[in-house]
Amino acid sequence: MLSLQHISKYYQVGGNKNFVVNDISLDVDEGEFVSIMGPSGSGKSTLLNIIGMLDEPNDGYHYFVNQPVHQLKEKQRAALYKQYIGFVFQAYHLIDELTVYENIETPLIYQDVKGSERKAMVADMLDRFQIVGKKDLFPAQLSGGQQQLVGIARALIAKPKLLLADEPTGNLNSKQGEEIMELFRKLNKEDGVTIIQVTHSEKNAEYGSRIINLLDGRVESSRKF
Amino acid sequence: MIKNYFKIGWRNMMKNKFFSFINIFGLSVGLACCILIALYLNYETSYDSQHKNAPNIYQVVTAFIQSGSKRMALPNTPAPMAAALKREYPEIVETARLLSLFTEDKTIVQYNPAQGERRSFLEQRGFLADNSFFKIFTYQFTEGSPVNALANPRTVVISQQLANKLFGSQPALNKVIHVNSNTNGEQDYTVTGVFEAGKTPSHIDANFFLSVNGGNMEGFIKRQQNDFASNNLFFTYLLLKPGTDAAKLQAKLPAFINKYASKDLKNIGFRKEQSLLALRDIHLTSEVDSNVTPPASKTYLYVLFSIAVFTLIIACINFMNLSTARSSKRSSEVGVRKVLGAEKSTLIKQFLGESILMTLIAFVFAIALTLILLPLFNQVSGRAITLSFSRDLVMFFEFLLMALITGILAGSYPAFYLSSFNPVKVLKGKLTNSLAVVAVRKGLVVFQFIISVVLIVASVVIARQMNYMRTADLGFAKDQQIIVPLRTGAAKAAYTALKTVLEENSSIASIGGSAYYPGIFNPSDNLVYKDGQTSAEGRRTRMNFVDDNFLQTLNIRPVAGRLFSPEFHSDTNNNIIINEKAVQEYGFGTAQNAINKKLYNKYQDNTSTFTIIGVVKDFHYEDLHLPVTPYGFFLNTSGFNYMVIHAKPGNMAAVLKTIETSWKKYDTSDPFDYSFLDEDFNKNYKADTRLAAIVSYFTVVAIVISCLGLFGLAAFSAEQRTKEIGVRKVLGASVKTIVSLLSIDFLKLIVASIVVASPIAWWLMNKWLQGFSYRREIDWTIFALTGGIAILIGLITICSQALKAALANPVKSLRSE
Ligand SMILES: Nc1ncnc2c1ncn2[C@@H]1O[C@H](COP(=O)(O)OP(=O)(O)OP(=O)(O)O)[C@@H](O)[C@H]1O
Ligand SMILES: [Mg+2]
Repeated sequence: MLSLQHISKYYQVGGNKNFVVNDISLDVDEGEFVSIMGPSGSGKSTLLNIIGMLDEPNDGYHYFVNQPVHQLKEKQRAALYKQYIGFVFQAYHLIDELTVYENIETPLIYQDVKGSERKAMVADMLDRFQIVGKKDLFPAQLSGGQQQLVGIARALIAKPKLLLADEPTGNLNSKQGEEIMELFRKLNKEDGVTIIQVTHSEKNAEYGSRIINLLDGRVESSRKF
Repeated sequence: MIKNYFKIGWRNMMKNKFFSFINIFGLSVGLACCILIALYLNYETSYDSQHKNAPNIYQVVTAFIQSGSKRMALPNTPAPMAAALKREYPEIVETARLLSLFTEDKTIVQYNPAQGERRSFLEQRGFLADNSFFKIFTYQFTEGSPVNALANPRTVVISQQLANKLFGSQPALNKVIHVNSNTNGEQDYTVTGVFEAGKTPSHIDANFFLSVNGGNMEGFIKRQQNDFASNNLFFTYLLLKPGTDAAKLQAKLPAFINKYASKDLKNIGFRKEQSLLALRDIHLTSEVDSNVTPPASKTYLYVLFSIAVFTLIIACINFMNLSTARSSKRSSEVGVRKVLGAEKSTLIKQFLGESILMTLIAFVFAIALTLILLPLFNQVSGRAITLSFSRDLVMFFEFLLMALITGILAGSYPAFYLSSFNPVKVLKGKLTNSLAVVAVRKGLVVFQFIISVVLIVASVVIARQMNYMRTADLGFAKDQQIIVPLRTGAAKAAYTALKTVLEENSSIASIGGSAYYPGIFNPSDNLVYKDGQTSAEGRRTRMNFVDDNFLQTLNIRPVAGRLFSPEFHSDTNNNIIINEKAVQEYGFGTAQNAINKKLYNKYQDNTSTFTIIGVVKDFHYEDLHLPVTPYGFFLNTSGFNYMVIHAKPGNMAAVLKTIETSWKKYDTSDPFDYSFLDEDFNKNYKADTRLAAIVSYFTVVAIVISCLGLFGLAAFSAEQRTKEIGVRKVLGASVKTIVSLLSIDFLKLIVASIVVASPIAWWLMNKWLQGFSYRREIDWTIFALTGGIAILIGLITICSQALKAALANPVKSLRSE
């Protein structure tokens, strides 16, 4: 599905290059569920953002669904991104001014999905996550776990092939976290969504089929189950 | 998608009511100003559009040139000009003369019905017009027909308004009315037509048209049959063949003058240049003095237009500044949307949608505001502008378009700025504004305040000049002077008797009679020269004809020789009293030197000789726009147009009552009318008063909108620094230091604006003051005053917010973080 080859990302601090991602090579196949772990500041989020095309590496080759991302223009990258990738954040990042329904609907609007179709898709998603009763509430009226559910529903609404999650359970209690992880597993198993998540929890990491440990911008270890 | 944008825009607006209020209020007021000014400009440029022949109608303009003295362009020509032009040039299809009833602006119009009481009115805006007038100009007649309406002597065409006044609901056609004017004498006229007021304004705002023949002017015109040089009293209009090049015709006119007028012109020492002024341009040509109605000054229109646009720009700047200042609040939304697949262009559209939504709401308020303010605006501008949805539909769409463009302009900068956020960065944490954006914001605030400061300086300078003109020593006593016009022969004849009776009244100080008085048009003038000179070296000297008590009544003071007075019965109408300016221009050196010297005036081969018996101090017979020029008084014993009564301080109402009672005794037929000299004089400042009013209104508007913006920014900055203030207070900072901490940055901006605005304002207002021969120059006190006002207003605006922040309980603000 995607292949990173010798990817580096650094910040210029004084005269020195401060590497955040240092010569990482990584292949992820379709249907994998990868967990990225590592201490704070090790470059997990940065790596995830590069995979998600939100951030650009300074060096290296990046292939996604067989396209050379490092050579694509902004527009083409955006199209690729829109079609294949969904993002989930630790801080949910729902739009405060929009209701649950509208938050979930937004990606479809940006993909120019027709109104009637949108309605059906959002209704479907609300149903699947059992939040139909909350659809007219604003984010501020939901609990953290509910907000993250909405965040995931929103990430999935456009049927992405790759779901990227940056500490999706970081702000949740362990029970809520477990529910989310169960959901991820189900998505991965039943719907074949490729998932890459960043997590600090060993337990949550084990939901994945592979765990990658980062240290100072390098892959320290990688285990497959 | 659009629906979605508006929905979010609306929710954002409701969530931030304070900022929305500032923006919508500012934009509403700014748009309303622009709409009002657009309506005004539309009105001013629609003059004379009702005439079907408008593209082919021209007014003949005469430029008078005297060696050494500057040109004066007047729309006036001698009586025989029209007919001769038509004879000479086949491309002229028709000509018509128009003469406004001058000297006084009110004419007595009476109707004596078979039954009932006689109706008598003082009417203004009366004209003499050739029969061909209605062939050239288009008027909608409700009675009678424009064809040959004025062909017969003693016929009159009246306005519907006058018809209603005179005849009520009865038909006006063929009724006979009695018209009495100084210009044309007293006659009976038959009504041959009634016309409706035009849908668009005309520079000829006539109330009635008298036939040229049948009155006193008929004989006068006959006597002037061959004079193409002097007595330039008539407005002459030409109707050209369609397709005629007016410039080509104009190029032929020097030959015309050469043929008809060169000899007479040489005698009186003038040259004349004729030009053609297109009908639709008349109202907007202020270079031509004394037209039928005063023209609109283009400069004035430009000033109004720019002020309106600036007001709107100030409102737009508020929108931009408040949007970018609050951008950190929107930044995470931008980040999320980008992550969800929004492209930059989509986000730009979204933010533009929000600003457009806001301007559309403002537009609705602006229309309402316009309708509310229109009566006030009409009062200030002296116009009768109306706005109706059905009639002005196109204009409404233009206004809507203007609102949309405003929305796009105001929204574009924030839209580009907000949509350019990098999602990775903004989602990581709170975004701080980049230095560039802060600099732009500061620049925009400075720009707003530059406009405000310039407007404040303008208001102050104009107000000072107005005050100066109202209080300046005019060289005569202008207060407590009652002017009673003597319009009819009967009234003129009663003058001496009236004067004798009234002089005995203890509350009246003095009474004089004259042809003209200061502040009104003084049409009589002669070219006057002294011994050893020829007529060509003569100086244009205004003449007035007064009785032996007029100068005393007005307290015009002698500097040499003496005034006319009852003690000198030997004074004849060959004696003249001149002003100091005349002494200087004739070249007598000192006033004393001029006494008993001879002056001459040559008119059509007759030379008159006058002896100077007195010199008076210069006085302002014209308003302070104009310099004092040579002036002369002749003694008359009767035939005065005005009685000037100087009342002693006290009960003015009682004095007026006394005069009216005596008036009724001596002249029972004419209505009693009066005015006050000071008020008449100040009427000359109508345009200036208008400008003063409009500029001060706009100044207030600009300041209010600017300050609202500043208030918003100050509130925002205080809010943003709540935590910092809390920490500082816990560390022991006093309220004073915190207030100054929050205010100093804004104050610096205001001071910067004052520094930039002062030279601009000085340059602009100095230019404006050049239009006054007598003026109060701009000095540093104006800038000190203005700077003080601006800083004070700014301080009040900012400090209210800073104080609020400084007084807040630090424990609270720290806990909430
Ligand atoms: N704009 C920047 N300039 C300089 N250094 C930066 C910048 N952005 C991030 N970094 C550095 O990059 C490193 C990696 O950051 P990243 O967010 O990827 O860490 P992380 O592994 O996700 O940590 P955490 O577990 O705390 O989320 C950090 O040490 C950080 O200081
Ligand atoms: Mg991280």
